[in-house]
Amino acid sequence: MESPNTAPQPLDEGQRLHPMTLLQRSLLSIPAFALLLIPFFRSGGSGGGEWFNLIGALVYGFIALPAIIIRYIRFRYWITPTEIIIHSGVFTTKKRNIPVEKVQNVEIEQSLLPRLFRTAKIQIYTAGSTTAEGVMEYVGLPEAHRIRETIRVYQQRADAVAPAPALSTAVDEEPAPAEEGGLLYASPAPRQDAMLFEMPLALVIRGGMYRFSLIYIALAFSVLQYLDPDPDVWVAWLTRNDMFRTIDTLAASPWVWGSVLVLTAALLSWLTGILVYVSRYYGFQLSQSERKIHKKHGLLTLAEGTIPLRRIQAFVFRANWLMARHGWQSLELQTIGGDVNQAGHPVAVPFARAPRAQALANLIRPLALPDAFEAVSKLMIRRDVFRATVILGLLAAGIGWFWRPGWGLLALLPLAVLFSILNYRHHGYALTNDYLMVRRGVLTRRTWAIPIGKFQVFYTTATYFQRRLKLASVYVDTAGAGGWPSPTIRDLPAETAAALVETLNEQFQAGFAPDAPAMADLASDATPAAEDATDQSGQGASFESLHPASGHSPASDPDQYVRPKSMPPPAASAD
Amino acid sequence: MRPLKPAVIKVWTISYAIRATLLLIATATFDVIQLLRGAEAVLPAGLTTGAVLVASIGVTVFVPRWMYRYWRFSLDDQELYLERGIFNRVRTIVPLRRIQHLDVSQNLLEREFDLGKLIVHTAGSDSNSVVLPGLDYTEAEQLRDSIKHYILEDAV
Repeated sequence: MESPNTAPQPLDEGQRLHPMTLLQRSLLSIPAFALLLIPFFRSGGSGGGEWFNLIGALVYGFIALPAIIIRYIRFRYWITPTEIIIHSGVFTTKKRNIPVEKVQNVEIEQSLLPRLFRTAKIQIYTAGSTTAEGVMEYVGLPEAHRIRETIRVYQQRADAVAPAPALSTAVDEEPAPAEEGGLLYASPAPRQDAMLFEMPLALVIRGGMYRFSLIYIALAFSVLQYLDPDPDVWVAWLTRNDMFRTIDTLAASPWVWGSVLVLTAALLSWLTGILVYVSRYYGFQLSQSERKIHKKHGLLTLAEGTIPLRRIQAFVFRANWLMARHGWQSLELQTIGGDVNQAGHPVAVPFARAPRAQALANLIRPLALPDAFEAVSKLMIRRDVFRATVILGLLAAGIGWFWRPGWGLLALLPLAVLFSILNYRHHGYALTNDYLMVRRGVLTRRTWAIPIGKFQVFYTTATYFQRRLKLASVYVDTAGAGGWPSPTIRDLPAETAAALVETLNEQFQAGFAPDAPAMADLASDATPAAEDATDQSGQGASFESLHPASGHSPASDPDQYVRPKSMPPPAASAD
Repeated sequence: MRPLKPAVIKVWTISYAIRATLLLIATATFDVIQLLRGAEAVLPAGLTTGAVLVASIGVTVFVPRWMYRYWRFSLDDQELYLERGIFNRVRTIVPLRRIQHLDVSQNLLEREFDLGKLIVHTAGSDSNSVVLPGLDYTEAEQLRDSIKHYILEDAV
């Protein structure tokens, strides 16, 4: 049996996946197999093309099934006190070593099939990547928990053993833990978690009722399209011929028929939305240990995840207009190095009363939303109306050219005006000692709270149209944000925008000043600040001497445009 | 605030000219097909190519000059500041402590004019690489070396 003290060389040592993996993977490959076969069965094997499908399916079967077995045989893993080693690959052998101290997060995921077999998928995340670095699919459930605990214990030891232990010595010094079931595991130390938030089923259902998802309907339609059932048969079966008269009457008036269709679709999508929501968030639990947030939820797929506190980059409160109207909110945590499926915004609180969601955020990191947000320039309304007019006008002209009623699109203009006004009203920002807060959106209302210490890069942008109105937008980039929508503060008066960026930048820099009062920041931020203090006093004063040729310091460049900026005193203040 | 090296206008002009040529080849092919179809043609032959030719000459001649005119940057011991953009004027402040790593790059064209780009990588999502073009190659390396001292271990 393998021992973590020896480097694993031959492939026939180390741990294998759970044997049920074979069965599960085979079962999972059946849908693809069946899809290949559908055309064959539907036509009864008359045409030549269908035989081609049958042969394709058989070839698939001959290749896919042995591949599953070989993949299983070739897959090995080791958990040692210093690293996690995974060997895999059918044609090319992949050997992956993940140092234990680099592991950010170990996720255990159980979808329906693995739950039936009491197995789970383990995903190991490191800081560097957005996708899982190591995936073990599938291991037995007790084994999964043991792996996670073991990694945690090894990590704590690695932390305890001085800053950077040389690999070899660390291994030598490591007292061999008690042997247990073939692998060497430390006995898991009890973890002290404080439960933050639990969702009873009623709340989950209620949350689902506020979701509207047209995607599922589209999906259902496309599946039907592929299977291509005879609609008349369906209708006859559903109504048992009793309702034909009703349907005929409805069909007589296209408007009634249309609205009935739309209503049915809306109802269906609402119901699927609830179902999907409940299956995702059933039994939601959020708890917090010293340095991490843990969450656990799911009906069919049981998802368990952890978010290290110091990886949190921003808080996003979110509500669609109906939720906002009824006082509900959800909370997302913008993180880095997390699950790519959640696009860097894992949900911490799916559905709660707005004050409760904010109180929970406050528990994670001191945070209070302001009572009032600063408004941006009213010219924003004018820009939005102008833009809507141009777009609607072009669309109406384009469609109206071919089809007269297309001009009717212009009737939407008053609506666009109303929307622009609402858009302005719901846009605002606030700067506190510790946070930049930005809120945006009418239909989906988001409020970002970005800790000042997490700022990355500052932007001021002004398009040609904005410059004509003396406006500018301000955007603070953070890690893990990505894509749309972003916490951009739109259409500030140009001077306000410039001043805001200066203030933001000063507050950001001040947070790192050695004599600054310790920012109420997440755990680890103290370290870079401390490092920086020495860095600044060492480098700051000698900057000009380091870089004398440039002569770019604003003061020494009177004929050039100088950025209107109160230069913060250089590193002199550090002394 | 410093401008870029004027030679960068030539680099940009040439790269725009190359792209314009590729586009022209494509439209010319389209126009030849139109010509061969004769009466069935959707547009009169030569119209597309003509329009693209005029537009691309305009872009190639003027855009690099405008870009150059609005490019400015400065560096002090806390931040790198960039300003650029013809239509959309963008000002960027990159705090030096946020820089993850630095690249100096030089493509074939830039090598001809002894220019280089400084590429600054941060952990930010929309700004994981901020590019400062149009520097003397040696200057780009100097800038990199002087910024290097400000990089922290864990910039997140």
